[in-house]
Amino acid sequence: MTTSELSTTVRRRDRVAVIDLVGGVNARAEHSLDTAWAEAVRELPDAVVLNFRDAGYINSTGIALIVGLLAKARARGVPIRAYGLTPHYREIFEITRLADFLAINPDEDSAVRGAERSST
Amino acid sequence: MGDVNDRTTENAMDTAAAARDATYWAKAVTRLNVSEVPKGAINLNVTGKQLAGPIQGFGKMWQKTYQVRLPRERVSATDLIATWKQRFPDFWPEGNLFYGPLTGIAPGEVALLNMTLPGGMTLSTGVMVLYADEESFTLMTPQGHMFAGWITFSATERDGETVAQAQVLMRASDPIFELGLTLGGHRQEDLFWSHTLREVAAHFGEAADVDTQVVCVDKRRQWSRWSNVWHSSAIRSAGYMLGAPIRGARDLARRGRTPD
Repeated sequence: MTTSELSTTVRRRDRVAVIDLVGGVNARAEHSLDTAWAEAVRELPDAVVLNFRDAGYINSTGIALIVGLLAKARARGVPIRAYGLTPHYREIFEITRLADFLAINPDEDSAVRGAERSST
Repeated sequence: MGDVNDRTTENAMDTAAAARDATYWAKAVTRLNVSEVPKGAINLNVTGKQLAGPIQGFGKMWQKTYQVRLPRERVSATDLIATWKQRFPDFWPEGNLFYGPLTGIAPGEVALLNMTLPGGMTLSTGVMVLYADEESFTLMTPQGHMFAGWITFSATERDGETVAQAQVLMRASDPIFELGLTLGGHRQEDLFWSHTLREVAAHFGEAADVDTQVVCVDKRRQWSRWSNVWHSSAIRSAGYMLGAPIRGARDLARRGRTPD
Protein backbone atom coordinates (compact mmCIF):
# COMPACT_ATOMS: atom_id res chain seq x y z
CA MET A 1 0.00 0.00 0.00
CA THR A 2 1.39 3.41 -0.94
CA THR A 3 1.20 6.18 1.61
CA SER A 4 3.39 9.17 2.35
CA GLU A 5 6.59 8.75 4.36
CA LEU A 6 6.27 9.53 8.03
CA SER A 7 7.89 12.75 9.17
CA THR A 8 8.27 13.61 12.82
CA THR A 9 9.06 16.70 14.85
CA VAL A 10 9.76 16.89 18.56
CA ARG A 11 8.52 19.79 20.69
CA ARG A 12 8.88 20.49 24.40
CA ARG A 13 6.07 21.54 26.67
CA ASP A 14 7.59 22.14 30.06
CA ARG A 15 9.10 18.79 30.96
CA VAL A 16 7.03 16.81 28.47
CA ALA A 17 8.26 15.91 24.97
CA VAL A 18 5.60 15.92 22.24
CA ILE A 19 6.30 13.92 19.05
CA ASP A 20 4.19 15.12 16.09
CA LEU A 21 3.62 12.32 13.58
CA VAL A 22 2.78 13.38 10.02
CA GLY A 23 2.13 10.74 7.33
CA GLY A 24 1.72 6.98 7.27
CA VAL A 25 2.90 4.81 10.14
CA ASN A 26 4.13 1.63 8.46
CA ALA A 27 7.34 -0.34 7.91
CA ARG A 28 9.02 2.70 6.32
CA ALA A 29 8.39 4.76 9.47
CA GLU A 30 10.90 2.86 11.62
CA HIS A 31 13.88 5.16 11.12
CA SER A 32 11.82 8.31 11.56
CA LEU A 33 10.23 7.02 14.77
CA ASP A 34 13.56 5.87 16.19
CA THR A 35 15.15 9.26 15.46
CA ALA A 36 12.23 11.12 17.04
CA TRP A 37 12.32 8.89 20.10
CA ALA A 38 16.05 9.46 20.59
CA GLU A 39 15.54 13.20 20.37
CA ALA A 40 12.48 13.14 22.64
CA VAL A 41 14.27 11.36 25.49
CA ARG A 42 17.62 13.16 25.10
CA GLU A 43 16.68 15.79 27.68
CA LEU A 44 15.20 13.25 30.08
CA PRO A 45 11.55 14.32 29.86
CA ASP A 46 9.03 13.45 32.55
CA ALA A 47 6.84 11.93 29.83
CA VAL A 48 6.42 11.59 26.07
CA VAL A 49 3.22 12.40 24.19
CA LEU A 50 2.55 11.03 20.68
CA ASN A 51 0.46 13.34 18.49
CA PHE A 52 -1.45 11.30 15.88
CA ARG A 53 -3.59 14.21 14.64
CA ASP A 54 -1.82 14.32 11.26
CA ALA A 55 -0.83 10.68 11.11
CA GLY A 56 -2.42 9.07 8.07
CA TYR A 57 -2.64 5.40 7.58
CA ILE A 58 -1.42 3.03 10.31
CA ASN A 59 -0.94 -0.61 9.37
CA SER A 60 -0.10 -3.60 11.56
CA THR A 61 3.65 -3.07 11.12
CA GLY A 62 3.14 0.52 12.31
CA ILE A 63 1.36 -0.77 15.41
CA ALA A 64 4.34 -3.09 16.04
CA LEU A 65 6.66 -0.06 15.86
CA ILE A 66 4.54 1.72 18.46
CA VAL A 67 4.79 -1.36 20.68
CA GLY A 68 8.57 -1.06 20.29
CA LEU A 69 8.36 2.54 21.52
CA LEU A 70 6.29 1.41 24.50
CA ALA A 71 8.96 -1.15 25.37
CA LYS A 72 11.68 1.52 25.17
CA ALA A 73 9.58 3.89 27.31
CA ARG A 74 9.03 1.17 29.88
CA ALA A 75 12.74 0.36 29.99
CA ARG A 76 13.47 4.04 30.74
CA GLY A 77 10.53 4.44 33.10
CA VAL A 78 9.07 7.21 30.94
CA PRO A 79 5.25 7.40 30.78
CA ILE A 80 3.86 7.64 27.26
CA ARG A 81 0.48 9.02 26.15
CA ALA A 82 -1.28 9.68 22.86
CA TYR A 83 -3.85 12.04 21.40
CA GLY A 84 -5.34 12.91 18.02
CA LEU A 85 -6.42 9.37 17.14
CA THR A 86 -9.51 9.03 14.97
CA PRO A 87 -12.31 6.84 16.38
CA HIS A 88 -11.22 4.10 13.98
CA TYR A 89 -7.65 4.04 15.26
CA ARG A 90 -8.84 4.31 18.86
CA GLU A 91 -10.69 1.09 18.14
CA ILE A 92 -7.54 -0.46 16.62
CA PHE A 93 -5.60 0.51 19.76
CA GLU A 94 -8.31 -1.23 21.79
CA ILE A 95 -8.27 -4.40 19.64
CA THR A 96 -4.50 -4.68 19.75
CA ARG A 97 -4.66 -3.89 23.47
CA LEU A 98 -2.17 -1.07 23.11
CA ALA A 99 -4.69 1.02 25.01
CA ASP A 100 -3.97 -1.09 28.11
CA PHE A 101 -0.53 0.53 28.32
CA LEU A 102 -0.89 3.78 26.43
CA ALA A 103 -3.31 6.38 27.79
CA ILE A 104 -5.31 7.96 24.98
CA ASN A 105 -6.40 11.57 25.44
CA PRO A 106 -8.76 13.73 23.41
CA ASP A 107 -6.34 16.65 22.96
CA GLU A 108 -2.81 17.82 23.56
CA ASP A 109 -3.52 19.78 26.73
CA SER A 110 -5.11 16.82 28.49
CA ALA A 111 -2.34 14.51 27.24
CA VAL A 112 0.36 16.83 28.58
CA ARG A 113 -1.50 17.40 31.86
CA GLY A 114 -2.05 13.64 32.19
CA ALA A 115 1.58 12.96 31.39
CA GLU A 116 2.66 15.46 34.06
CA ARG A 117 0.32 13.84 36.56
CA SER A 118 1.39 10.29 35.74
CA SER A 119 5.06 11.18 36.11
CA THR A 120 4.65 12.70 39.59
CA MET B 1 4.81 25.67 -4.61
CA GLY B 2 5.95 22.22 -5.71
CA ASP B 3 6.31 21.21 -2.06
CA VAL B 4 2.75 22.37 -1.34
CA ASN B 5 1.43 20.31 -4.28
CA ASP B 6 3.45 17.30 -3.19
CA ARG B 7 2.10 17.63 0.34
CA THR B 8 -1.49 17.97 -0.93
CA THR B 9 -1.07 14.86 -3.08
CA GLU B 10 0.42 12.94 -0.17
CA ASN B 11 -2.45 14.01 2.11
CA ALA B 12 -4.97 12.88 -0.50
CA MET B 13 -3.19 9.52 -0.74
CA ASP B 14 -3.25 9.17 3.03
CA THR B 15 -6.96 10.00 3.17
CA ALA B 16 -7.71 7.39 0.51
CA ALA B 17 -5.54 4.86 2.31
CA ALA B 18 -7.24 5.59 5.63
CA ALA B 19 -10.66 5.08 4.01
CA ARG B 20 -9.62 1.67 2.67
CA ASP B 21 -8.00 0.88 5.98
CA ALA B 22 -11.24 0.07 7.77
CA THR B 23 -11.68 -3.01 5.60
CA TYR B 24 -8.18 -4.28 6.37
CA TRP B 25 -8.44 -4.31 10.17
CA ALA B 26 -10.51 -6.70 12.28
CA LYS B 27 -13.48 -5.21 14.08
CA ALA B 28 -13.32 -4.90 17.85
CA VAL B 29 -13.92 -8.12 19.74
CA THR B 30 -14.04 -8.62 23.47
CA ARG B 31 -13.84 -12.41 23.37
CA LEU B 32 -13.07 -14.81 20.53
CA ASN B 33 -15.71 -17.00 18.99
CA VAL B 34 -15.16 -19.91 16.62
CA SER B 35 -18.07 -19.91 14.19
CA GLU B 36 -17.42 -23.33 12.68
CA VAL B 37 -15.11 -26.11 13.83
CA PRO B 38 -13.56 -27.94 10.86
CA LYS B 39 -13.74 -31.73 10.91
CA GLY B 40 -10.85 -33.21 12.86
CA ALA B 41 -9.94 -30.00 14.64
CA ILE B 42 -9.82 -29.71 18.42
CA ASN B 43 -11.49 -26.49 19.50
CA LEU B 44 -9.87 -25.81 22.83
CA ASN B 45 -8.46 -22.66 24.44
CA VAL B 46 -9.95 -20.27 21.89
CA THR B 47 -13.66 -19.66 22.41
CA GLY B 48 -14.24 -17.03 25.08
CA LYS B 49 -10.59 -15.98 25.26
CA GLN B 50 -9.44 -12.40 24.89
CA LEU B 51 -6.70 -11.41 22.47
CA ALA B 52 -3.26 -10.93 24.01
CA GLY B 53 -0.66 -8.67 22.40
CA PRO B 54 3.05 -8.52 23.16
CA ILE B 55 2.45 -6.13 26.05
CA GLN B 56 0.11 -8.55 27.81
CA GLY B 57 2.66 -11.38 27.91
CA PHE B 58 5.07 -12.44 30.64
CA GLY B 59 8.52 -13.06 29.18
CA LYS B 60 11.16 -10.98 27.45
CA MET B 61 9.88 -9.22 24.33
CA TRP B 62 11.38 -10.49 21.09
CA GLN B 63 11.17 -9.40 17.49
CA LYS B 64 12.11 -12.19 15.12
CA THR B 65 12.33 -11.61 11.40
CA TYR B 66 12.64 -14.38 8.81
CA GLN B 67 13.14 -13.49 5.14
CA VAL B 68 13.61 -15.20 1.79
CA ARG B 69 14.37 -13.47 -1.51
CA LEU B 70 12.89 -14.52 -4.82
CA PRO B 71 13.48 -13.11 -8.30
CA ARG B 72 10.84 -10.46 -9.01
CA GLU B 73 10.11 -12.02 -12.41
CA ARG B 74 9.14 -15.24 -10.62
CA VAL B 75 6.44 -13.66 -8.45
CA SER B 76 5.24 -10.18 -7.48
CA ALA B 77 4.70 -9.15 -3.86
CA THR B 78 0.91 -9.11 -4.18
CA ASP B 79 0.78 -12.49 -5.94
CA LEU B 80 3.04 -13.99 -3.29
CA ILE B 81 0.80 -12.75 -0.48
CA ALA B 82 -2.34 -13.92 -2.29
CA THR B 83 -0.83 -17.42 -2.58
CA TRP B 84 0.44 -17.39 0.99
CA LYS B 85 -3.03 -16.49 2.30
CA GLN B 86 -4.69 -19.13 0.17
CA ARG B 87 -2.26 -21.97 0.97
CA PHE B 88 -1.15 -20.89 4.42
CA PRO B 89 -1.39 -24.33 6.12
CA ASP B 90 0.41 -26.10 3.25
CA PHE B 91 3.69 -24.36 4.07
CA TRP B 92 3.76 -25.38 7.73
CA PRO B 93 5.99 -28.18 9.06
CA GLU B 94 4.39 -31.61 9.26
CA GLY B 95 2.40 -32.36 12.40
CA ASN B 96 1.23 -28.78 12.85
CA LEU B 97 -2.28 -28.09 11.67
CA PHE B 98 -3.85 -24.74 10.89
CA TYR B 99 -7.62 -24.94 10.52
CA GLY B 100 -8.41 -21.70 8.76
CA PRO B 101 -11.87 -20.34 8.20
CA LEU B 102 -13.66 -21.46 5.05
CA THR B 103 -13.74 -17.86 3.92
CA GLY B 104 -9.94 -17.74 3.96
CA ILE B 105 -7.60 -15.36 5.74
CA ALA B 106 -9.66 -12.24 6.26
CA PRO B 107 -9.74 -9.63 9.06
CA GLY B 108 -11.58 -10.82 12.16
CA GLU B 109 -11.57 -14.52 11.19
CA VAL B 110 -10.45 -17.02 13.82
CA ALA B 111 -8.37 -20.10 13.00
CA LEU B 112 -7.71 -23.12 15.19
CA LEU B 113 -4.19 -24.47 15.65
CA ASN B 114 -3.36 -28.03 16.67
CA MET B 115 0.38 -28.28 17.15
CA THR B 116 2.44 -31.38 17.91
CA LEU B 117 4.89 -30.75 20.72
CA PRO B 118 7.99 -32.81 21.53
CA GLY B 119 6.70 -35.92 23.32
CA GLY B 120 3.72 -36.19 21.01
CA MET B 121 1.31 -33.98 22.94
CA THR B 122 -1.13 -32.01 20.82
CA LEU B 123 -1.39 -28.40 21.88
CA SER B 124 -4.66 -26.75 20.90
CA THR B 125 -4.90 -23.02 20.50
CA GLY B 126 -5.82 -20.48 17.84
CA VAL B 127 -5.21 -17.10 16.27
CA MET B 128 -7.30 -14.22 14.97
CA VAL B 129 -6.57 -12.45 11.70
CA LEU B 130 -5.93 -8.94 12.97
CA TYR B 131 -5.07 -7.32 9.67
CA ALA B 132 -4.96 -8.30 6.01
CA ASP B 133 -4.27 -6.28 2.88
CA GLU B 134 -2.73 -7.11 -0.50
CA GLU B 135 0.85 -6.99 0.74
CA SER B 136 0.62 -8.31 4.28
CA PHE B 137 -1.47 -10.04 6.90
CA THR B 138 -1.17 -10.27 10.66
CA LEU B 139 -2.26 -12.97 13.09
CA MET B 140 -2.79 -12.19 16.79
CA THR B 141 -2.80 -14.71 19.60
CA PRO B 142 -5.42 -15.31 22.30
CA GLN B 143 -4.80 -15.71 26.04
CA GLY B 144 -3.15 -19.03 26.76
CA HIS B 145 -1.24 -19.28 23.47
CA MET B 146 2.46 -20.15 23.81
CA PHE B 147 3.25 -16.52 23.25
CA ALA B 148 1.36 -13.28 23.44
CA GLY B 149 1.90 -11.28 20.30
CA TRP B 150 1.38 -11.13 16.62
CA ILE B 151 2.99 -12.40 13.46
CA THR B 152 3.02 -10.30 10.32
CA PHE B 153 3.55 -11.97 6.96
CA SER B 154 4.49 -9.55 4.21
CA ALA B 155 6.12 -9.22 0.82
CA THR B 156 7.94 -6.25 -0.66
CA GLU B 157 9.74 -5.66 -3.94
CA ARG B 158 13.32 -4.43 -3.64
CA ASP B 159 16.15 -4.27 -6.20
CA GLY B 160 14.55 -6.72 -8.61
CA GLU B 161 13.65 -9.17 -5.87
CA THR B 162 10.49 -10.05 -3.99
CA VAL B 163 11.24 -10.37 -0.31
CA ALA B 164 8.87 -12.61 1.64
CA GLN B 165 8.96 -12.04 5.36
CA ALA B 166 7.48 -13.39 8.58
CA GLN B 167 7.98 -11.12 11.57
CA VAL B 168 7.05 -12.21 15.07
CA LEU B 169 6.67 -9.70 17.91
CA MET B 170 6.08 -11.65 21.08
CA ARG B 171 6.54 -12.39 24.74
CA ALA B 172 6.11 -15.85 26.23
CA SER B 173 2.62 -15.86 27.73
CA ASP B 174 3.53 -17.20 31.15
CA PRO B 175 6.50 -18.43 33.22
CA ILE B 176 6.16 -22.03 32.00
CA PHE B 177 6.24 -21.05 28.32
CA GLU B 178 9.12 -18.66 29.08
CA LEU B 179 11.09 -21.55 30.51
CA GLY B 180 10.14 -23.66 27.50
CA LEU B 181 11.33 -20.98 25.10
CA THR B 182 14.64 -20.72 26.95
CA LEU B 183 15.10 -24.51 26.90
CA GLY B 184 14.90 -24.91 23.16
CA GLY B 185 11.55 -23.33 22.31
CA HIS B 186 13.15 -20.37 20.57
CA ARG B 187 15.15 -22.74 18.40
CA GLN B 188 12.01 -24.73 17.59
CA GLU B 189 10.25 -21.56 16.61
CA ASP B 190 13.16 -20.47 14.39
CA LEU B 191 13.08 -23.87 12.68
CA PHE B 192 9.31 -23.62 12.26
CA TRP B 193 9.32 -20.28 10.47
CA SER B 194 12.47 -21.05 8.49
CA HIS B 195 10.78 -24.20 7.22
CA THR B 196 7.66 -22.20 6.33
CA LEU B 197 9.59 -19.60 4.37
CA ARG B 198 11.63 -22.23 2.54
CA GLU B 199 8.35 -23.90 1.56
CA VAL B 200 6.95 -20.59 0.32
CA ALA B 201 10.07 -20.10 -1.81
CA ALA B 202 9.94 -23.72 -3.02
CA HIS B 203 6.34 -23.21 -4.10
CA PHE B 204 7.65 -20.60 -6.52
CA GLY B 205 10.49 -22.85 -7.66
CA GLU B 206 13.29 -21.35 -5.59
CA ALA B 207 15.60 -23.11 -3.14
CA ALA B 208 16.16 -20.04 -1.00
CA ASP B 209 18.20 -19.52 2.17
CA VAL B 210 16.32 -18.01 5.07
CA ASP B 211 17.79 -14.90 6.65
CA THR B 212 16.95 -14.76 10.37
CA GLN B 213 17.26 -11.72 12.59
CA VAL B 214 16.41 -11.82 16.30
CA VAL B 215 16.22 -8.70 18.47
CA CYS B 216 15.35 -8.59 22.17
CA VAL B 217 13.11 -5.51 22.33
CA ASP B 218 12.65 -5.65 26.12
CA LYS B 219 14.87 -7.77 28.36
CA ARG B 220 12.60 -7.46 31.36
CA ARG B 221 10.02 -10.03 32.30
CA GLN B 222 6.61 -8.81 33.39
CA TRP B 223 6.26 -10.62 36.69
CA SER B 224 2.85 -9.08 37.29
CA ARG B 225 1.66 -11.31 34.42
CA TRP B 226 2.67 -14.63 36.01
CA SER B 227 -0.99 -15.49 36.51
CA ASN B 228 -1.42 -15.82 32.73
CA VAL B 229 -0.52 -19.43 33.47
CA TRP B 230 -4.20 -19.91 34.41
CA HIS B 231 -5.05 -19.76 30.69
CA SER B 232 -2.10 -21.93 29.58
CA SER B 233 -3.05 -23.87 26.47
CA ALA B 234 -0.32 -26.43 27.29
CA ILE B 235 -1.78 -27.27 30.69
CA ARG B 236 -5.35 -27.26 29.40
CA SER B 237 -4.43 -29.34 26.33
CA ALA B 238 -2.62 -31.86 28.56
CA GLY B 239 -5.70 -32.05 30.79
CA TYR B 240 -7.87 -32.60 27.73
CA MET B 241 -5.62 -35.43 26.48
CA LEU B 242 -5.48 -37.08 29.90
CA GLY B 243 -9.25 -36.95 30.04
CA ALA B 244 -9.62 -38.71 26.68
CA PRO B 245 -9.99 -42.27 28.10
CA ILE B 246 -12.68 -41.07 30.54
CA ARG B 247 -14.55 -39.27 27.76
CA GLY B 248 -14.26 -42.39 25.58
CA ALA B 249 -15.63 -44.69 28.33
CA ARG B 250 -18.48 -42.26 28.99
CA ASP B 251 -19.40 -42.19 25.29
CA LEU B 252 -19.38 -46.00 25.14
CA ALA B 253 -21.59 -46.21 28.22
CA ARG B 254 -24.00 -43.68 26.74
CA ARG B 255 -24.18 -45.62 23.47
CA GLY B 256 -24.76 -48.84 25.42
CA ARG B 257 -27.78 -47.28 27.15
CA THR B 258 -29.29 -46.00 23.92
CA PRO B 259 -31.83 -48.52 22.45
CA ASP B 260 -31.10 -49.68 18.86
